[in-house]
Amino acid sequence: MEETLFLKKDMKKELSNYEFSNLKKALKLGREKVIDIIKQSGLKGRGGAGFPTGLKWELAYQEEADKKYIICNGDEGEPGTFKDRYLLENNPVKVLEGILIVAYAIGADEGYCYIRGEYLGPINIFEKVINEAEATGILGENILDSGFNFNLYLVKGAGAYVCGDETSLINSIEGKRGRSRIKPPYPIAKGLFDKPTVVNNVETLVSAVEIINQGLDKYLELGTENSRGTKLVCLSGDVNQPGVYEVEFGQVTLGEIIEQFGKGIRNYVPLKFLVPGGISTQVLTPAELNVPYTYEGIASAGSALGSGAVIVVDEGHDLVDLMLNVSRFFMDETCGTCFPCREGNRQVYHMLKEGKEGFTEKDVELIKNVGTTIHLAARCGLGQTSLNFIGSVFDKFGDELKLKGGEHYVTSKY
Amino acid sequence: MLQVNIDGKTYNVNEGSSILEAAGKAHIKIPTLCYEEGLSIYGGCRLCVVEIEGERLLQPACATEIKEGMVIKTHSPKVQEVRRNLFELIIASHDISCKLNCLTCSKNGNCELRQAADIIGINQVRLKSRDKGYSEDRSSYSIIREPNKCITCGRCIRKCEEVQGIGIFTMANRGPATIVTTFEDKGMGNVECTNCGQCIHSCPTGALHEVYHYENVWDVLNDPSKHVVVQTAPAVRVAISEPFGAEPGAVATGQMVAALRRLGFDRVFDTNFTADLTIMEEGTELIERINNGGILPLLTSCSPGWIKFIEHFYPDLLPNISSCKSPQQMFGAVAKTYYAEKNNIPLEDLVVVSVMPCTAKKFEARRPEMEGDVDFVLTTRELARMIKTAGIDMLALEEEEYDNLMGVSSGAADIFGATGGVMEAALRTAYELITGEELEKLDFEMVRGLEGIKVAEIDINGLKVKGGVAHGLGNVRKLMDRIKSGEEFHFIELMACPGGCLGGGGQPIPTNEETRTRRMKAIYEIDKGKKMRKSHENSYVQKLYDDYLGKPGSHRAHELLHTSYTARGV
Repeated sequence: MEETLFLKKDMKKELSNYEFSNLKKALKLGREKVIDIIKQSGLKGRGGAGFPTGLKWELAYQEEADKKYIICNGDEGEPGTFKDRYLLENNPVKVLEGILIVAYAIGADEGYCYIRGEYLGPINIFEKVINEAEATGILGENILDSGFNFNLYLVKGAGAYVCGDETSLINSIEGKRGRSRIKPPYPIAKGLFDKPTVVNNVETLVSAVEIINQGLDKYLELGTENSRGTKLVCLSGDVNQPGVYEVEFGQVTLGEIIEQFGKGIRNYVPLKFLVPGGISTQVLTPAELNVPYTYEGIASAGSALGSGAVIVVDEGHDLVDLMLNVSRFFMDETCGTCFPCREGNRQVYHMLKEGKEGFTEKDVELIKNVGTTIHLAARCGLGQTSLNFIGSVFDKFGDELKLKGGEHYVTSKY
Repeated sequence: MLQVNIDGKTYNVNEGSSILEAAGKAHIKIPTLCYEEGLSIYGGCRLCVVEIEGERLLQPACATEIKEGMVIKTHSPKVQEVRRNLFELIIASHDISCKLNCLTCSKNGNCELRQAADIIGINQVRLKSRDKGYSEDRSSYSIIREPNKCITCGRCIRKCEEVQGIGIFTMANRGPATIVTTFEDKGMGNVECTNCGQCIHSCPTGALHEVYHYENVWDVLNDPSKHVVVQTAPAVRVAISEPFGAEPGAVATGQMVAALRRLGFDRVFDTNFTADLTIMEEGTELIERINNGGILPLLTSCSPGWIKFIEHFYPDLLPNISSCKSPQQMFGAVAKTYYAEKNNIPLEDLVVVSVMPCTAKKFEARRPEMEGDVDFVLTTRELARMIKTAGIDMLALEEEEYDNLMGVSSGAADIFGATGGVMEAALRTAYELITGEELEKLDFEMVRGLEGIKVAEIDINGLKVKGGVAHGLGNVRKLMDRIKSGEEFHFIELMACPGGCLGGGGQPIPTNEETRTRRMKAIYEIDKGKKMRKSHENSYVQKLYDDYLGKPGSHRAHELLHTSYTARGV
């Protein structure tokens, strides 16, 4: 199986000799037409939440304000995800072009590109791109003689996972504590410095550029009705060939991704489970992988496509270790604002640690109770999804987890 | 009006209401911890989550606006279960154990955790308590912070920032290590804290409380060699009965005096006496400044929270402050000189205790500028605790009178306890002293009430005297900025706490809009009921001048009753 090259087509690392033909096209089409194309394309946000991109732009465009902002979200923090890094390293010019197109479409004259602090390479690359763009006049006043002005600033994240959430990211740019804001108001109405703001993921922006570039008709041929186009899949874990693969929606199943792109499980060990969309999503067992790689397909299997991180886990791991690893991550990364997420993740971590010697039925019930409470009552997406992984491991592999006083369970067959 | 269905009944509610407000109007009680009226919405504790038809997740009632046709379940089985689980998490994080014994807690009796536990119906705690192991912040003369009891609801942060306009607290770290702390963990005593204690009123747990002096006071009361005198501030008498179950605003002056005698104080005096004295000194200062082209506006100096505020944030305006000590400190100074000499009490045996509605008074008493005037400062809460500890059924006692001479006061002194009261007291006296005529109408309504900033102009012998009043440091800052931008005033009264001293950081809990309003009403009733309502008519103050001080503003008066300030900056 070959990759479907749509986002990966004509990647641009260097600014020199690049014509910004898509930006020119957009400037010619006019704001409303650009928004209309993206709306018709059915493009959904690629950061994880999957909000319709065209609608986001339209709502921001309709806001009346003396100032609007666009933020490019490159704070890729979901464990297992590295496609924004791939794009920032290999296709930074198109990322910039995407930012310019949204800015033009919604009427923003300032923007921020917020890149995860650990991504030193992408930060350096993108900084260079911004400097060159300023020098050549693609950023600044009267861009391409169109009367469109736009300035872009690069912000380095400081290592907080929660800042990938758009309102937390906005707080972070403002110099405030990285924590989510109460919605409504949504950033579209009241975002950065209380002005209408569009926050788009790196991959979303490149998708938008390519929709303008390769045409709406071409895009509508790709994928399914509810999952248009292609998706960069970050394949990692126990596979022979991990990497970033561009997959057309609906053309392969989850199982096929492991086999055809990953070239099978490493070390000839059987597959234990797969995480289809980053560690905020539920694990799927080998029996559940015969679903097409689409938003709706994975949802039908009881999980989510999330950020596109596909993590393959074979049987050579201790389930409790895996859960502890994920739990530790969420415990450390909760922003500390809402009680269920902060205290719930702390308790779950300690209960898992204490359960190394085995769980009682009551322990399992309590972990699940806490999980439900966090899910139903937490303040933002981080908390709401923080127990998806652990909860699904308990649901699907509960029998293997040793019960106190019961038979021993196999931590690893290999 | 919007129509909503709450728990099966239809209600009409105002547009823009939150679910919490709508439920409140429908007499449905939804538990909250991080919510406080008058502060911004935080949405952190999540105890108020409710089920809304059509929504996948539960939504916080405090932060969710009512929409037309909403169908809300505030206490469905799902909601109740989530609340119980949540509360278990909160209890485990609050480290309720023998170490943090509820019985020894400052909030024993009015702990919001207990109140919430009661309405949530918690009947088990399956989770282990997770010790945080923080140390106490004892850097302040006024307030102690016990971070192990903190549930990081952020109410103190918001109160300090939004109401008091300062912001000494912040959230630090993330994850379970998230804590409320001061800048660089310096401690409350080493940052721009004004010691106002408003944070204590906002804290739902016992994480914030005053630095206790009551044990020291027990020691001196139990020491027969000590002669212990006590003074009580104007605002204490309208609040002291609340911890004994009386309605807010129930006046208990006489019972309090009786209780203080039973506790063993040798003399029971009234800070009101020195409030009258303050008016004589401050009034003289004001007239002098007006007549001699002195620095105006004259700013009052009774509120030690306000004093520390100006020292930090407006040090350039320090020359405007009256050099008068506060009534508490004047009392101490007079007690340790005039009173001691007259009664032949050696200074080493004389102990001056004050009962104040205030936490900043504890700091004030330790200021090097006037150290030794007052030995110990009790808050209203501490006094109530002492009275209870001694087994005194205060409200059942026969009323008793204050001792002479420092126990007699005018109605003008009583109203010191309410915002605008010092201004009104000063106007009553200034008018008569300047014009030599009797003031017909004693009530200056325009400086009364809970409006944040009040401005009044009165005509005294053709001079239009413009006065300003601000209470709550957020309002104080606004008024200071008006002065700095050139607005002219003659006299300004400033109080650190919302409502003035009656809403002080040392007052019984709860201190909120309702209790403030009722205590204020009581204060003006006391004034109204008095025959003597002007400070300069207080013949005992006159006697003090005749016997000892000479006249207002004299050299001796300056030595004893006046002070200086320290520019602190930020």
